[in-house]
Amino acid sequence: MPIPFIMPKMDMDQESVTITEWLKQEGELITKGEPVIVVETDKLTSEIEAPATGTLASILYHEHEEAPVTQVVAYILAEGETIADLPAPEKPEEVEAKAAETPAQQASAPVQLQVSPIAQKLAADLKVDLNQLGITDRKITRADIEAFAAAAKEKPPRPSATPAARFTARENKLDLSGISGSGPGGRVQLADVKAAQAAATSQPAVDLKPAAVLPAVKPGEIKPFTGTRKRIAERLTQSYQDVPHIYLTVHVDMSALSALRQRANADKTRDSVSMTAFLVKLLALTLARHPYLNATLSERGVELLGEYNIGVATALEEGLIVPVIHHADQLPIRTINAQLRELSAKARNGSLVRQEVDGGTFTISNLGMLGISEFTAIINPPQSAILAVGAIERRVVAAADDEIEIKPMMSITLGCDHRVVDGAVAAAFLRDLKTVLEEPSLALL
Amino acid sequence: MPEITYREAIHDAMVEEMRRDPSVFLIGEDIGTYGGAFGVSQGMLEEFGPERVVETPIAELGITGAAAGAAMVGMRPIAEMMFSDFVLLAMEALANQAAKARFMFGGKATVPMVLRLPGGSGTGAAAQHSQSLESLLIHIPGIKVVMPSTPYDAKGLLISAIRDQNPVCFVEHKLLYKSKGEVPEGEYTIPIGVGEIKRPGTDLTVVSTGIMLHRCLSVADRLAQEGLEVEVLDPRTLRPLDTEMITASVKKTGKLLVVHEAVKTGGWAGEVIASVSESDAFNYLDAPMRRLAGKDVPIPYNRLLEEAAVPQEADIEAEMRALLTNQY
Amino acid sequence: MTEQIPFDNQATDNFLEKADSLGLDNARLVEMLKTMLRIRLFEEKANELYALGKVHGTMHLSAGQEATAVGTGFAVRKGDYLINHHRGHGHFIASGADLEKMMAEFLGKDTGYCRGRGGSMHIADVTSNNLGANGIVGGSLQLAVGVGLAAKMRKEDRIVLTLFGDGASNEGIFHESLNMAKIYDLPILYICENNQYGMSASVNRVSARTPFKYRAEAYNIPGYYVDGNDVLAVYEFAKRGAEHARGGQGPFFIEFATYRYFGHSKSDRNLYRSKEEIDSWRTHRDPIIRFEGNLKDAGVIAGEEAKVMEQEVVKEIDAAVKFAEESPEPDVATLEDFVYA
Repeated sequence: MPIPFIMPKMDMDQESVTITEWLKQEGELITKGEPVIVVETDKLTSEIEAPATGTLASILYHEHEEAPVTQVVAYILAEGETIADLPAPEKPEEVEAKAAETPAQQASAPVQLQVSPIAQKLAADLKVDLNQLGITDRKITRADIEAFAAAAKEKPPRPSATPAARFTARENKLDLSGISGSGPGGRVQLADVKAAQAAATSQPAVDLKPAAVLPAVKPGEIKPFTGTRKRIAERLTQSYQDVPHIYLTVHVDMSALSALRQRANADKTRDSVSMTAFLVKLLALTLARHPYLNATLSERGVELLGEYNIGVATALEEGLIVPVIHHADQLPIRTINAQLRELSAKARNGSLVRQEVDGGTFTISNLGMLGISEFTAIINPPQSAILAVGAIERRVVAAADDEIEIKPMMSITLGCDHRVVDGAVAAAFLRDLKTVLEEPSLALL
Repeated sequence: MPEITYREAIHDAMVEEMRRDPSVFLIGEDIGTYGGAFGVSQGMLEEFGPERVVETPIAELGITGAAAGAAMVGMRPIAEMMFSDFVLLAMEALANQAAKARFMFGGKATVPMVLRLPGGSGTGAAAQHSQSLESLLIHIPGIKVVMPSTPYDAKGLLISAIRDQNPVCFVEHKLLYKSKGEVPEGEYTIPIGVGEIKRPGTDLTVVSTGIMLHRCLSVADRLAQEGLEVEVLDPRTLRPLDTEMITASVKKTGKLLVVHEAVKTGGWAGEVIASVSESDAFNYLDAPMRRLAGKDVPIPYNRLLEEAAVPQEADIEAEMRALLTNQY
Repeated sequence: MTEQIPFDNQATDNFLEKADSLGLDNARLVEMLKTMLRIRLFEEKANELYALGKVHGTMHLSAGQEATAVGTGFAVRKGDYLINHHRGHGHFIASGADLEKMMAEFLGKDTGYCRGRGGSMHIADVTSNNLGANGIVGGSLQLAVGVGLAAKMRKEDRIVLTLFGDGASNEGIFHESLNMAKIYDLPILYICENNQYGMSASVNRVSARTPFKYRAEAYNIPGYYVDGNDVLAVYEFAKRGAEHARGGQGPFFIEFATYRYFGHSKSDRNLYRSKEEIDSWRTHRDPIIRFEGNLKDAGVIAGEEAKVMEQEVVKEIDAAVKFAEESPEPDVATLEDFVYA
């Protein structure tokens, strides 16, 4: 029997991929493990490898089409097999002719649909409900199924918005579906977009250095809003809409950690350790004590993930990417540091592989190096919390004896999914995190 | 500046042009001793004599065809339809002859005539004497359609219409004849095809002319007391339409309401809205563009029914408020 | 039948005497014949070009009616206004049209009288007071009153030669026009060219009373019913009417009885009349055969002169066709020109 080529699911919440390219065409020989399809997911471009050796046949999803994961996208024929061996006959006209020979049989079942076998197979593969086609007066053919499937794959209905709202949202790269409309029936008006725009003014700057020359801006120039940028927007919008966020902030005295880091970096023969590396480690250790902050909410319930894989949001020109330090709780800080450097470099030159961005359980977003004192971040789904890390700043604080002191302070803001994490749980986690950040040696306990 | 009525403004424009240019003459029914059905041509027979104030039998096709013929040989006739409704009797001469002669003859003819058309409802004259047929007229290439709303515009536009080289339908509103406004003495012209912002505003663009313009202005003034600033535009000419003015305003306000007395179906509001929709103002629209127009019925006799058949201030206010508050 | 009602003209018995009394010398008579030939041959050529697909749309041929065209055309002056009907090729040629520009218009060329915008039905030359052929039956009757008013107001020594047919005489505008022309005593020469059929409608079937001269009388306008295939008779009455109108006595009305050989337009299959009827007119009453015979009998032309004349006309027409065919089509980019001045 021909082997179905199934589109693998590559991520927890993934439903489909977009096929960028078929590296092999129908009729070509493929070898198990050889890359056959290039697909694009919301995170990355991936190569899908052949699940078996044989001849590629009957490609069902073509380039630029979206293919559902876990579904058949093609078949692989073993030696001696032909397309005739596919689950359904290939030549539709023959099949249709055959079907036409038995009209009496069909007439006896009053509501039974006339469907050519190839259409039947395609409908099953594409999960098309034949009754929804509304074709009763003639035989349903392959073309009908394809047309219906194509129509069904159309984008979800556009949010209702006025042309001005649409235009302004487009110009400002705002997602209309994330804006609630004040017009009739929730139609988004221009004023709603302007309000949303004002609320979301701070797009992360990539470069802190003041621009030597003004960036060249062509009035009215439209920057494409596609690919990664669009997918990030969609994911964040979905998260922002679906996940009830709560935010808690604490201010951390970084004197001790700064001193520790200074000592560690005194050894000039070794790579200097970034503050992020310390943060990742201490965070992972703290998370181990607070499993609900390291969880995923699904239909089955709250899944406590048990692995502490810390994603570190990294700003690229084309958008955010979140490389992951797996099992950060178990790694030495210098290893974490080295991994961070490597991942950061790979992110910048676009060579991250799937494993390096998959499987995150918690995310850190650090804008401290850009001089941001404190901020809030949107949870990276399907995770249930995110930590927004501000800059270490010399701030005036009141010491225990009511004296005024100047200390290196850092504000961290925890954003979490209130469905999973209650305020008190979040507060306890933050308290513990603050404690180990202020007194890193306690982490040894 | 002296204040005169709309009727006097039209009268003055005709008289001044006839004094200035011997090729201008007036032709129509009861325009002599009677002074015209609405008194617009009073005293003109006395001044210009029966050769230039040509009183006709009741023969609208004859009148309009005669105007077209005279215009083709270099005269500048002003033909008066007693009621704009009667232009339907004259459509052959207007649409098949006057409008087409220039084109049909390869640009070698000109038809500089004016057809004055007292239109509109509100006088209790019922279905055959109250129509607003301007929308019908703008569908015909080769003629221009002018519709002044103030005495100032009426005089300036009529002088322009008389001097224009094309057939111009000059739609007067019967209810405006007595309205007064400042009009300078002596000649001045208002270019055909150029509208005017009658009231500047920022929140909503309203396009209207004729009697409806006044209703819109009065509602806009009331709304201004609540801080709602409606911009009221008077296109003054319906063909060619000053789309530039309208799109510029819509780009500013993001909303458009067109108010006219002519029935809604096929009315010129649709033309205004389509032109905005096709323009670069589309991306500035923050609400559906709306029409408030005469109901799709003949004008009834009964006073209540007659009022209900065309937009009144309350209707205009409701429509403006709906758009201004996004409750459309 | 219309023919049963006596004509107001005397039959042309003593040809030369009559021509002399009308002030027509031999040269003028020959020119009249040549013009009639020009009309006939021009239309035959146009018909040929139509068959070849070079003339677009339709055409209203006037073959058989040449005497009316030439008789009236020669009776008015240069500078008089001409308002034509849709079957107006003959009248236009009789008024001195440029055959090249005319043929170019038939072929829809940019060099045509109307730069290809009008076609055969709308040929005009406004600068020479030819206000065009009108596609609307009765269109000329509307415009005539205005042109007459203008001529009168400007005290011009010009009359308005207004052409229409039996069909237009049943349009409402006929009555509005005649009435207005009379109440203002306008210098209009109304020429009703009765070719017996309004498209397929026989004039007697659709007209309550004929001839139409009675209708003119109803408006207190002198009206006559004349043999339209006798070019001298046509000339005689047209001249009288022109003098009447020019003399400030108001409008004048003449109905010329004539006959068209071809169908109403190109789609006509002549289902409403018999071949015998057409042949009878062609054989016994053809205006060209008749006039040529008169000229020969009277010795105005002799031997092969008519043939030579015909060859000259054919050359003119061939030159016109050549000009038209070599002329450029209008530039589509100029489509929207001429809608407004």
